[in-house]
Amino acid sequence: MARLVVGLGLRFPGKTLFQYPEIILGKAAGKAVALLYLWWFFQNCAENYRSFISFLAVSFMPETPLMVFVAFALIMASYGAYYGLEVIARTNQLFLPFVIVSVVLLFFLSVPEMTVNNLLPVFEAGMIHLVKSTAAPLAWFGEVVTFAVFIPYLNRPGQAHRVALFGILGTAAIYEMTVIGIIAIFSPALTAGYLFPVLNGARIIHLANFLERMELVLVVIWTVAGVMRVTLLHWVLVLGSAQWLGLKDYRPMILPVAVILTALFMLIHKGILEEYYFLAWVWPLYSLIIFEAGLPFLLLAVAAIRGVGGKSG
Amino acid sequence: MSKRVAFLFLIIVLLGLTGGCWSRKELSETAIILGAGIDREPDGKVRLTLQIARPAAFGATEGGGGGGGGGAMVGTVWVVSGTGETVFDAQRNLSLQVSRRLYWSHNIILIFGEDASRQGVREVINFFSRSPQPRETMWVGVAKGKAEELLTSHSAMEKSSAQSLGFLERMKAGLFVEYKDFIRDLACPGTNPVAPRLELLYRGRHEGPVMELGPGYHKEAVLTGAAVFKDDRLVGWLDESETRGLLWLRNLIKKGAVTVPSLNEPEKKITMEIIRSKTKVDPYYDGEKASFEVQIRVDGMLIEQQSKEVFTDPEVMAALKKSLAADVERKARSALEKARDDYAVDVFGFGEAFHRKYKKEWPALKEYWDEEFARSDVDIAVEVRIRQSGMQAGRLSIRRGAER
Repeated sequence: MARLVVGLGLRFPGKTLFQYPEIILGKAAGKAVALLYLWWFFQNCAENYRSFISFLAVSFMPETPLMVFVAFALIMASYGAYYGLEVIARTNQLFLPFVIVSVVLLFFLSVPEMTVNNLLPVFEAGMIHLVKSTAAPLAWFGEVVTFAVFIPYLNRPGQAHRVALFGILGTAAIYEMTVIGIIAIFSPALTAGYLFPVLNGARIIHLANFLERMELVLVVIWTVAGVMRVTLLHWVLVLGSAQWLGLKDYRPMILPVAVILTALFMLIHKGILEEYYFLAWVWPLYSLIIFEAGLPFLLLAVAAIRGVGGKSG
Repeated sequence: MSKRVAFLFLIIVLLGLTGGCWSRKELSETAIILGAGIDREPDGKVRLTLQIARPAAFGATEGGGGGGGGGAMVGTVWVVSGTGETVFDAQRNLSLQVSRRLYWSHNIILIFGEDASRQGVREVINFFSRSPQPRETMWVGVAKGKAEELLTSHSAMEKSSAQSLGFLERMKAGLFVEYKDFIRDLACPGTNPVAPRLELLYRGRHEGPVMELGPGYHKEAVLTGAAVFKDDRLVGWLDESETRGLLWLRNLIKKGAVTVPSLNEPEKKITMEIIRSKTKVDPYYDGEKASFEVQIRVDGMLIEQQSKEVFTDPEVMAALKKSLAADVERKARSALEKARDDYAVDVFGFGEAFHRKYKKEWPALKEYWDEEFARSDVDIAVEVRIRQSGMQAGRLSIRRGAER
């Protein structure tokens, strides 16, 4: 999937996901595809941030209205989007080591609570179940499609393949580490019942009677990562909608996008259980089949057949 | 201009927040729960008993008895009890009695009364997983009798009986079960939960004349064995010695001692202190009947000897190890037989070991695993290794030449 996206990006240097469908498919169809993507990014951003808010609301601040979280994240996101990709990237550069170190630290601190036997036996469920349950994480990694928007802004687009692959592998490693750790702590039977098993995992860390309440580290990670994500997707949306409308400067779009996002955040789910079901069973297939694999493949295939775009990658 | 307006707007927004957070909980407005007990009323209602810390009293006792010798005893905790249809319902009803907001995060122990346990604990534990406040690391215990009585008891050593019970479990000398382990055993097929049995007994006594204002003895909440569950219902108890056996079979022995009679002088005893131990369970299945081979390996230290043998002699040493191993096996077997033959429940996680090895056969057996376990054969092999002998090689207090 990453190769697909990067391959597309490199065929059209200087163009984003919102621009090259027009070149490939022609004006009307191209606009339609770009609009679909725009919609998907809106949804993606809302889903992401909604789950982030749910975490805070469910675990720590059940009485706080969602609007408070939404308003603050969007003020920050708009600010980030105003200053553009470089500022967002530099901020992330600042926080990322902290986040990664904290995740690894939490993992190692909870090692004493783990029982390897909880992980056994493996591959008990059979292939069909296995494939079904990989859809959700796969869809999550599939969000590398976002990368299609950054490629034109890379200093060295030639390294795009490497960067995308590294990003995916790194995320996958951290993801695997967390999942395995949590199952080793709680056994599959319990993990399945928790909404935020990682939080429960962090809560049980207690070393030498003084190192406790590590879940606050998790909250910091979650907040930083959540806000970074919203900021980034906000920028993508602002840029995308500006390009779709053919505006020269993307900044006038910041406010409208923020308003639409606010509404989406608030309306997208009725409650946590509905959200849980949607994210587990509907969202993965929806985004995986259409936006993360289907459309990029279609675009690349048509581009290759029609011979548009430069050969590279 | 627009920048100024934006700035002003930002200031107004931030000002609105200086009052604090939405979901704040001020320390002076919270009632910190130290221990919680759940009993069932005869009419089926849930009785929730909460032991709440009195911060003022905590500070006073740390001040060092400023009240003068033998002054009025200041309770460090306050115990309230109320009923409701569910646990949270009972808690809400309690808020008419407690002047502060109840706060669960520091709860040390959750105690199920005997009645509640016999009726099944699944009905009453959901709140503790669903609410974000109680922690997975709180201890769990089953009261012999009412949980309420345990929580209203006094602890001479710690500041409250809940604290005392929690610390007793934390010592890991008896059975110790955290909430997360308890619900894990409840959720996983192939094992059943156990929890320490908590009882109010006359234990310890106050010192000399100063404290003789009241009776020298009072009842303390202590650990006296284990409660055995079948699924979520209490079906029976293990005594202290059988609980040791349970710990051996569950690979949970952290410390302790094994005492056997001397080989030459049976009325005199020898004690080994356990340094570490490891229990391995190997299941076998021939299509009809499950059997288990349990291997227990103990590393120990010779800590006390009433007799006069010389253990540098390899033969004597071998005989001692054999005798120690037999004692460990006897304890393990007593727990096994009680659970398997009397209660017919697998509380040792043997089903999980079976599941790990025979994942194809497991689905057919897991529904009635306890019956399958009840007719299984278990072979226990114990290997004892004496790594250390304390500060002595032989006995110092014996006159030379009198050793044999």
